[in-house]
Order: sequence, then structure tokens, then C-alpha cells
Amino acid sequence: MDISVPSNLTQLVFFIPAAAGLLAWLLGRVRRAFAEALALIGVAGAFACAAAMTPRVLRGQVLTGWGLELRVDSLSVLLVLLISGIGLPATLFAIRYMRHRRLLDGDSADVTDRRLPGFYGLYSLFLATMLWGCVTNNIIMLYVAVEATTIASGLLVAFYWDRRALEAGYKYLMLLTVGITFALFASVLLYASAAAYLPGVNAMLISELQAVAELIPRSVAIFVVAFFIVGFGTKAGIAPFHPWLPDAHAEAPSPVSALLSGVMIKMAAYALARTLTIFYPSYAPLTVFVVALGGFTMLLGGVMALAQDDLKRLLAYSSVSQMGYVIMGIGFGTYLGVYGGLFHLLHHAAAKALLFLSVGAVIYATSLRSMSQLGGLGRRMPVTAVCFFIGAFAISGLPPFSGFMSKITIFMAGAQEGMWAAVGIGIFTSLLTLIVVIRAGQAIFWGNPKSADISLDAIHEAPTSLWVAMAGLAAICLLLGIYPQAAYPILNEATLSIAGVLGP
Amino acid sequence: MPYNVGLIETLSMLMIITSVAAVESYNLKRAAAAYALQALLICGLILAFAAGNPALYIWALVALVTKAILTPWFILRYIARTGEREVPAIVGFGPSVAIASVLLISFYKFTHTYVHVLAPTPEAAAGVFRTNLAVALTVFVLGLYAILSRRDAIKTVIGLCLLENAVHLSLVSLAPDMRETALIGIATEVVVTVYLLLYVIAGIREKVGTTDTYELAELHW
Repeated sequence: MDISVPSNLTQLVFFIPAAAGLLAWLLGRVRRAFAEALALIGVAGAFACAAAMTPRVLRGQVLTGWGLELRVDSLSVLLVLLISGIGLPATLFAIRYMRHRRLLDGDSADVTDRRLPGFYGLYSLFLATMLWGCVTNNIIMLYVAVEATTIASGLLVAFYWDRRALEAGYKYLMLLTVGITFALFASVLLYASAAAYLPGVNAMLISELQAVAELIPRSVAIFVVAFFIVGFGTKAGIAPFHPWLPDAHAEAPSPVSALLSGVMIKMAAYALARTLTIFYPSYAPLTVFVVALGGFTMLLGGVMALAQDDLKRLLAYSSVSQMGYVIMGIGFGTYLGVYGGLFHLLHHAAAKALLFLSVGAVIYATSLRSMSQLGGLGRRMPVTAVCFFIGAFAISGLPPFSGFMSKITIFMAGAQEGMWAAVGIGIFTSLLTLIVVIRAGQAIFWGNPKSADISLDAIHEAPTSLWVAMAGLAAICLLLGIYPQAAYPILNEATLSIAGVLGP
Repeated sequence: MPYNVGLIETLSMLMIITSVAAVESYNLKRAAAAYALQALLICGLILAFAAGNPALYIWALVALVTKAILTPWFILRYIARTGEREVPAIVGFGPSVAIASVLLISFYKFTHTYVHVLAPTPEAAAGVFRTNLAVALTVFVLGLYAILSRRDAIKTVIGLCLLENAVHLSLVSLAPDMRETALIGIATEVVVTVYLLLYVIAGIREKVGTTDTYELAELHW
């Protein structure tokens, strides 16, 4: 079985970006380049820690810190790798992107410039809080970490400080805090009811709760599950708790959108998976409910994405839809289902971050983001176009891209369980997604600009650091599609570590 | 039983009254004052429970600093800049008080009767803890009602504070032996969230000229 090994990496992985964030905020006032360099160092440090932890965890070790307060098993390491791995290209992209003053009109541009040290401070802190949430083993601290991600990212969402950004920031902070309060209630109830059966043990430790889940009074367990779904589900963008998501993901600066859509909602899904699966063995009907929730989410997100003109809102609704697949896969509760759900989580993090960065590159070049204004950019921005289409094909599940592999795994898991309705909804939503993204790609890159404000001659390909970041993510989408075995060792272990996996 | 049942019940009823005052008062300053009073009542309640569990003294201190001092200070500082008059709510004063009263009485009765459904341990469903849990849940529902029915952004923040107060209070019944670090984590985050919300709302007021959340309709679908 797993061997617990104390390791400082469990603390370093979130201390490094947190410290880098603090320094970026302080030193960035002296020179902007300090803030940029520190943000990059912070996320690179976290990635190095994650990379150092991975082989040890794959050998069957469970890394712990501060007693058992921090605990990194294969599922945690998957998330830590994902957060820092997506964070790295997003940060690289941010450096050049945030320097671009043409994105805003005169006044706001000056204000934005002055606030850049704060931006990188919060940005690194945001990454640190997400990483902390994935390594903590304390059910109350899990809530604290998830709420901390909201606090750290609230001002990032409202960063441009114009009417739309402020509105999105208000909704984001308010709705997420109300939602997450339900998760706090659930955490406290779970802790309190489990404590009675765990004398002499710290009942806040998630790793201990598993053993007593079946002893918790049935009525209390139902409340706990419902409150967790409302709480972490709000954060994960699950319908009908998603209304904050399109606003926040669309109005935030593009690199922040890539983090919100690529990583943050995944971290909430992780929290949901960690807590809900505690109850799987004793409450079998729960799995059907979670699958239904996933189906509803993916369908609603897909239909809403179809109605968008704003590219970033379109991508945001598509994120709601893709989270449905993750939830559905985890909902099946079988090995294949959970494997598919986690694979989709990995794939979507890379693909959606890639799409947000590609659209960011379009905004960088044109200052526009409506399909009804853009057009013909393919000739002037071929690299961005190729990256966008790789991301687009990946999320619509075309072979040989990553989304094909993850979706087919989820569909096979559904077929195995005989849940054909779920499989049908999944395939239908895939077609919807394909229509949505192809239509968007066609509107941006083919034809001629529809707005008189842009002339193609004045448009240039995105600068090197922007497209390097995009190309890195595009390579991940291709690799996971052509050689999905690359992710097998870690996904296999992570799947096995999720409680309640019922059988092969 | 070491608890002063009469005191706990009196404080609990006063808590509900102050919640209604915080939600229904048109004058934002008075609403904030009602909220501060409620926070003091929470401290009193936790102290009353501390007679049976000395660990709770530190909880009362945490509540005093974060809920009775910092949060009202932030809200009052904000109101001083923007004016005291609330943007009228969706429902008028009379109907709103009626709705709130019906909500309070029926919900309190309901939770008090069926508290065992939610109580994690038999002790939490008995005596003073039962009252505590029922009051907490009632204040929680009132907070949700305030967030949903008020148009003024500051009022929604006060609603959010009520919600968080309710959770804090319920911990006395649900998890009295929780560690201070966790408690401080929870309480600090609420204060920071309130501060950030007020900061963003101040920005909205500057750019849009109002704190009416119904004016925030730039983003939909």
C-alpha cells in the first residue's frame, strides 16, 4: 500500500509562488521587469516542485507535510502539475500581453500600467492558493483555500476597472462567496458528524473521513452532499450555478481567463471529486445524480455558446459545457469513468487555455473580440490561426487531438454502465461544440474584416513570447491525442486513489 | 448543565430582531449599526456557550475583532463617502417585513422541530444547542433573502455578512472543538471578501454613478 513520506516539497510548491507574489508586488514598484520576472520564477518554481514530486508519487509514496495537514497523493500531484504546467505558458503570455497599452483607452491605460505590480502579486498569489487547495488534507482548509482563490482572483477579474469588468468582479465575488458558504456548511457538518466516530483522530483530515462515511446519519449525509454540490459546484461552473462564469472569464485579462477557465474550475472539480467520492460506496444512487448534473451542464453550456458573438463569452460557455463531461465521467464512479473524467480535465485545461490565449493574441493584434467585427486574420496571423484550430478541434473531440481520447473514454464508460442517454447527450454536445468553434474560427480567420475599424495591412502576427506560449499548449493537445499513454501512469494512479472506484 | 438557558434564548431572539433591522432599515448607516449590534450579540452568545467549553473564549474574541469591529468599520467608512440612503428594494417596506416575519417564524419553527435531520450528533439536537442551530439557520435564510431581494449593492453585502454570521454561530453547535487556526482562517476570509466587495462597489459607483445592482445589466447571456 501507499507509504507516507514527509517532504518539504508539499509546502514549497505553494510557498514559492506566494513569496514570489509578495516580492513582485513590493519590487515591481521599483521596476516593472522585477514583477514580471518574479511571477515567472514563482510559477516555474512551483512547476519544478511538481515535477520533483511526480516520480516519487508514481512509485507509490504519499508525500506529507506539517504532520498530515498536507498530503500529496497521485490525484493531488496531477492537479499540481496541471496548475503549474498551464500557469507557466499563461504567465509567459501575460508578460508581453499586459504591456500592450492599445488594449485600453488613454486614461485606463495609465491606471493599468501603475497597477501592474499588484497584478503580478495577485496573479502569483492566485496560483499559490490553487496549489495550496490541491495539497491540503484538511476539510476546513480546503474550503479556506477555495475561498482564498476567489479573493485572490476577484481583483484580477475586475482588473481593467471599466464598467463591464467591475460588474463582472462584483458578480464574481458575491456569487462565489455565497456559493462557497454552502461548502463551508457541508465541511463543518461532515467534520462534526465524523468526529463522533473518530475518537483520538483529527477528524478534519480528509484521508480519515473515508473510513466513517457510511456511519454518518443518512439525513446529514444528504445535506452534506447537496451543500458540497452547491458550494464547490458553483466554483466549478456547474449549471445551474454558472451565471458568474461567462462574465468573469470574458472580462478578465486574457491570461487570467486562461487560468480561470483552464485551471481554477478544475481545482473546484477536484474539491468536488475529493469530497463527493467519500460517499460513493455507501450511496450508489448519488452517481446517477452526478451524471445527470453533468449531462445538464454540458448541454446548457453548449447551447448557450451557440448564441454568443463575443469570442471570450463563447469560450466561457464552452467551458461550462466541457466541465459537464468532467463531472459526468467522475459521476460514473467506475474506473473507466473516473479515468475519462480526469483525462478530460487534463485535456480541457490545455485546450481551453490555448483557445483563450489564441483569442488573446487576436485581441492583442486588433483590440476586438466580436465575431461580427473580425475576419480574414488567417492570412496575417497564421500561427495564431493554427493554434486556435488545434484548440478548437481538440475541444470538439476530433481525432487525433486530446479531446477525442478523453471523450471516447467517457462514452465507453457510459456504454459500459448502460447509460445510453448520457452518452447520447455527450455526443450531441460534441457536435454542438464543433459547430460553435468552427463557426468562430471561420468568422475570425476567413473572409474579410467585417468592421471598418481594422485594416488587414496594419495587423501583424503575435510577438514571439505570445505564440511560444500558445505553441507549447498546442503541443500538449497533440501529444495527448496521438500518444495518450503518456498520461497513463499518472492518470491511472490518480483514478485508483479516488475513493469509491467500484471496479475495473 | 452549566449553560444559562434564559440568557442564551434572550440573546438568540435579539439576534433575529437585529437581523430583520439590518435587512429592513432604509438608512444604510442604521443597517450597519444593526449589523454591528448583531455581531456583539454573537460574541455574547459564544461567551454564554463558553461556560461549558472554555475554548470558545477565543472564538468570541475572533468574532469581536472581525465581525463587530472591522466589518462595520469598512461598511461605515464606505457609506460616509456615498450617502446613507438605500436604493429602494424590489419589495416595499410593509410587504418585505411581512415576508421576512413569515419566513422567520415558519423557518424557525421548522428547523427547531426537525433539527435532528441536520444535527450531526444527538447533543447538537438538544437543549440550547437546538435553539442555537435553529437561530443560525434562520439568520442564514434571512441573509439569502436580503441578497436576493435588495437592489442596493451595500445591502447585498450586509446580507452576505448575515449569512457568514449565521455560519459562525452554527459552529458553536456543530463543531465546538474545531481548532482556532481553522476558525481564524474562516473569519479572516469573510472580512477580506467584504473589503474587496466594497472596493469594487466603490469602483462601480465611480464609473456607473449608482450602486443599484439592477443597473448592472451590461453583461447578460
